[in-house]
Amino acid sequence: MKKFWALFFLFWPLVALYVCWIARDRNWWFPGEAMTAMGERIEGLFYLILGIVTVVFIGTQIALGYVLWKGATNSPDRKATFSHGSHSLELIWTIVPAFVLLFIALYQMDVWAEYRVQTFYPEETKSGPVAELMARQFEWRVRYPAPGKQMTDEPSPDDLYWVNEMHVPTGRPVKFNLRTQDVQHAFFSPQLRLKQDAVAGLIIPVWFEIPEAGEYDIVCAELCGWGHYKMRAKIVAESEASLKAYFETLKQDQEEDGVSAETAEAEAE
Amino acid sequence: MSLTSGPFRNLFAVACLFIWQCGCSDFESSFVYSDRTLSLISEAQNGIRTKEASLPGVKQSIDERFGTPQNLKAWLKLPVDFGGSAATVASAADATSVVLGFGEEAVVPEKLELIQFVSGDCAGQVASVKSWDVATATATLTSALPSVPAAGDAIVTGSGEILKSGRGLYQRHCSHCHGTSGDGNGPTAQYLYPRPRDYRHGIFKFTTTNDQSKASREDLKRLLKQGIPGTYMPSFLLLSDQDIHTLVEYVRFLAMRGEFERRLVNELSGDFSVKAVQGRVKSGENRADIVKELGEFLKTDFPEAVTTTGDGLAEAWTAADTEEAKVIPSIARIPDSPESRRKGRELYLSKALNCADCHGIYGQGNGPQTTIYEKNPLTNELYPEPGLHDVWDNVNQPRNLTYGIYRGGRRPLDLFSRIHAGIKGSRMPSFKNVPHEDIWHIVNYILSLPFEVEPGATGNAPQTPPATASVTQ
Repeated sequence: MKKFWALFFLFWPLVALYVCWIARDRNWWFPGEAMTAMGERIEGLFYLILGIVTVVFIGTQIALGYVLWKGATNSPDRKATFSHGSHSLELIWTIVPAFVLLFIALYQMDVWAEYRVQTFYPEETKSGPVAELMARQFEWRVRYPAPGKQMTDEPSPDDLYWVNEMHVPTGRPVKFNLRTQDVQHAFFSPQLRLKQDAVAGLIIPVWFEIPEAGEYDIVCAELCGWGHYKMRAKIVAESEASLKAYFETLKQDQEEDGVSAETAEAEAE
Repeated sequence: MSLTSGPFRNLFAVACLFIWQCGCSDFESSFVYSDRTLSLISEAQNGIRTKEASLPGVKQSIDERFGTPQNLKAWLKLPVDFGGSAATVASAADATSVVLGFGEEAVVPEKLELIQFVSGDCAGQVASVKSWDVATATATLTSALPSVPAAGDAIVTGSGEILKSGRGLYQRHCSHCHGTSGDGNGPTAQYLYPRPRDYRHGIFKFTTTNDQSKASREDLKRLLKQGIPGTYMPSFLLLSDQDIHTLVEYVRFLAMRGEFERRLVNELSGDFSVKAVQGRVKSGENRADIVKELGEFLKTDFPEAVTTTGDGLAEAWTAADTEEAKVIPSIARIPDSPESRRKGRELYLSKALNCADCHGIYGQGNGPQTTIYEKNPLTNELYPEPGLHDVWDNVNQPRNLTYGIYRGGRRPLDLFSRIHAGIKGSRMPSFKNVPHEDIWHIVNYILSLPFEVEPGATGNAPQTPPATASVTQ
């Protein structure tokens, strides 16, 4: 019976290792490929840490298995050994992990800095944000500056507004301001491997560079109330020309007065 | 000591049985009846059953035409896209083959799987179609009908797919706030301010139709797609167009059901509410006589009221989607300028329009009307809290215009509609007799309010700037 339990507790770590092995190709870790260069670097960090942890896991499970098996196969009359611990063992298993963690911390500094520290953002984003994404229960309100103008922190009279859909240009780094109107939310775009908490009272600049035009999900990643699970939006990345046309349409729709559009149509005919 | 040994054995068996039995039972949701319906005497609610006749009351009249959430009924008279089209039997060779006739404007469906017979000998039958020939509009049925349908019998194609899928979508996305019956009283509603809309008045606030018209389909679609900023109504932009259409139809279905119920109850509440009957009994009438009077009413006048109400609903909701119902300004928006804004401010403060009465002198939503005590027009009793109240009996806070949050939309047309048609159901009245250029001046003023340097600055005469700066750089 004891041997059964020893083998039982050795079996599941093997299953875990197997699952870990096959997970990557089945997109169990991430939904598809990373769609940005920064996303790939973050994914690289993830797999590095996963690798290190897996090695440690294998080591500790082998140790556990050994202890279990010995315990299971010991004869019942064996007397217990009283130990006062081992000083050298304690030193080893404190210092080695400390170094490993230090390694991880130093290794990822570059990525972290470029991702989160404003002075390390790409040069192109320094000209200003392209949009402001205001999270609120339970939608994402977007505010753009009027075409050709700079984004202001406070709304300007000619700003353009939309909801749940943020249009950004492809092919260059862009940044947007993340804010929240009420409680904490979190901007999370799985395909871009991008996550940033939206904190009340703060205006947080978030940057990305999307090479490929398309639609990318935004989901809320901070439990914000009863509608958190359905607080979704999308990023529409498109070419500059397409974006310009979009803003034209948005501006026209926002200036709709029930008369001018029809008059323009009639005149065109 | 394991679970399956000794004294635990019997307990374990019993526990398993118990859990199995009280698992997820078949949960039946139901439409609620309004408080006003429930304030009628029970004979008016449930009808009167005598040896001669069974006279349906309010509840049965509603259920017959709208059904329950499990068993929805499509009242074909109403302008709701239930999914499927109405048609007639052109001819029937025998009990398994029917030729259908569609109206001139109706589109003959490419695929047909189900026919429901609405009138004639086969009324109530639902026949599944084995094969459908579009060219000749002939349907061959999988099994024979009990009798051969006659030419002219009305049928409906399909089984109300849009209504059924609307029910599912509504349950997922809407019912937790708006309630199963659209009464604005779902489980999350108690935590929300403002409360979610109660559709049962048939009134929606933010429309681009005139003050006499209902909300158009376009208005409801806009609300779903863009949400209502400043409230808990989110945007459902990510739903497909088909889903949004389906939801709009289902919401209209619920609104019509609520309005139908309300109007029917209006016919009866004057004489046959519990309070009214109590009063009549007190003044000497016999309760049995009152019930007899009700029976007479249910037999003769009530069925006519049901028909007229249905017709009225159909007419009003169809008219809402026409061009005539829209608010169309006669002139394009007057371009924004300091003069226009000043004119707008003058109009805002004018005695004729008196916007400041509710919205306050500086547009902060704190005018004198917000502190009065007023009576509920239905019950003639004072509301418990001061301030204006809307038709849903909620406190109607006049908008603080300095926030820049425009619930019904920030387009100039939206603001024009708010002023021209008012906000239906609320205490924002319609100013349809105000010249359209004046309304545009007010719109320009309102859009500038969030950017005023200080409250009331727009109304002040333009200051001459000093020749030199007062502080050296």
